[in-house]
Amino acid sequence: MVKGLALAGGGIVAGRSTDLFATGPQQPSQLTPVEPFTGPGANPHWNSIGPYITEPQKVPLILLTDRPVQIETPRHYFNTPFTPNDAFYVRWHLEGIPNAVDLKTWKLHIEGQVENPLAFSLAELMRDFKPLSVAAVNQCSGNSRSRLQPRVPGAQWGNGAMGNAMWTGVRLRELLDAARVRKSSSQVQLQGLETGQGPKGLGSNLFLKSLDLSDPVLDDCLVAYLMNGEPLPVLNGFPLRLVVPGYFATYWTKCLTWIRVLDAPDDNFWMKTAYRVPDTPRGNTTPEEVKAGLLKTVPISRFPVRSFLVSPDGSSKIPAGMTITLRGIAFSGYGRIAHVEISNDGTKTWTKARLGEDYGPYSFRTWEHSWTPPASGRYTLAVRATDDKSNVQPNEPVWNPGGYLWNQIERQEIVVGEAG
Amino acid sequence: MKSRASKIWLAALGLTIAATALYADLRKGDYSPAQLGILQQPSPLPLAPDATYQIPPYPVPTPDLAPGDGVQEVRTYCNTCHSPRYITMQPPLPAATWEAEVTKMNKAFGAGIPEDSTRKIIAYLKAHYTVDNRR
Repeated sequence: MVKGLALAGGGIVAGRSTDLFATGPQQPSQLTPVEPFTGPGANPHWNSIGPYITEPQKVPLILLTDRPVQIETPRHYFNTPFTPNDAFYVRWHLEGIPNAVDLKTWKLHIEGQVENPLAFSLAELMRDFKPLSVAAVNQCSGNSRSRLQPRVPGAQWGNGAMGNAMWTGVRLRELLDAARVRKSSSQVQLQGLETGQGPKGLGSNLFLKSLDLSDPVLDDCLVAYLMNGEPLPVLNGFPLRLVVPGYFATYWTKCLTWIRVLDAPDDNFWMKTAYRVPDTPRGNTTPEEVKAGLLKTVPISRFPVRSFLVSPDGSSKIPAGMTITLRGIAFSGYGRIAHVEISNDGTKTWTKARLGEDYGPYSFRTWEHSWTPPASGRYTLAVRATDDKSNVQPNEPVWNPGGYLWNQIERQEIVVGEAG
Repeated sequence: MKSRASKIWLAALGLTIAATALYADLRKGDYSPAQLGILQQPSPLPLAPDATYQIPPYPVPTPDLAPGDGVQEVRTYCNTCHSPRYITMQPPLPAATWEAEVTKMNKAFGAGIPEDSTRKIIAYLKAHYTVDNRR
């Protein structure tokens, strides 16, 4: 009786799993987490490798650091041209991030080298100025830092430190004009509610960024109180965020509260030391050149042209002969996307993809391409974008000590199985 | 009666064999007891229609720092401005890079870590977070 039961049990287990019928190789039947760190080689994953974390006003996103908060957007959220607010990546520098903002007392201040210092409540900004909207990509300067060889210290982002949103608010120019900027002023400095515990005057106390008053990008800047038609999540800058279309996110000050006109170039840590790139083509250099100490650097500004295959993501097999749709996004800080090309032979030959709806020069542009893998095997798909200034993604990597400006052609291995 | 029963039995057996042939590599019901993949939902805050826009605290799950000499100094001083994830997130880095990072914290960021503790922190990072010893 006992023996019979044991046999029956064994039969059920065998029938339910694979022992009797399996003809292919056995897969390890285990749940294992992704590796706890990557390196010294490049991070081989599309995203960074941290655990998921649920931050306030967010769906579970990938944790890089928790204090201050840095979280990354998983790949599949880029299947749409606009990135949902609750999935939008987050990057702060100092641990003093607001948990509550009182709009009775909060005001946006325009001060410094102006004839007419001003302060506006959110109600006044919404009521007294004509709202404008722009679709614009917000990308961290260090997006994809974990690709660099040799690896550099810093937030080890995969590709998900980016997002696209429809930003709505007030033109920065209108506010500056209302305050009447003094002639011979140099820069406009931006300060949000973020504070740190470091001594006054150091980068560990305040995060400050500045833009040249002569920079044409100022005409495109918005002070945004809406993100995709909703208030901004606090982690993305509620109540107000500077939008600098085409520029890396370091200038997109969150919880923007002080707009300060300066009479001399800003020499605070976050302008003079951090967020600088070599003054070379692509911002490329070598560890040897850095050691030699001869490198001239400039503040980072626009992001180079990039494109991504979002799906399929390579985590599942595709049956041979099946016509599937490749989907992805492309964008450039220098101009509208002109075309996106796909290669299924490891960048030897290229064919053009269909572009999706055009939401303006600073937005994600979606693309699609039908692909029928003819036979089983391993395929390397690659995607390459070109913008309307003829900037095209290069096949060569980039390296600089800050881990900025990565835009090498992306590749994705796809395993195609037999279809029977 | 008997022959009818055996016909049904034979038919069932035939179907089973056919199904087995059709789905030779079908696998089912593979479950594994695991905490991996589970994440609790935080409950939302109650809201009042006033001017204060409040959100819940930011969660700080403590990562495991490698045990060893200097880990207490890391917990005490580095943790003032940032969580130890700033260390565990990094790839294996050259010893000189770790030294430069701690020097940056003191010089550029004014961390004010006493000299003795600074030495211990640098030694700890070099002993656990380089290519030679990262686990």
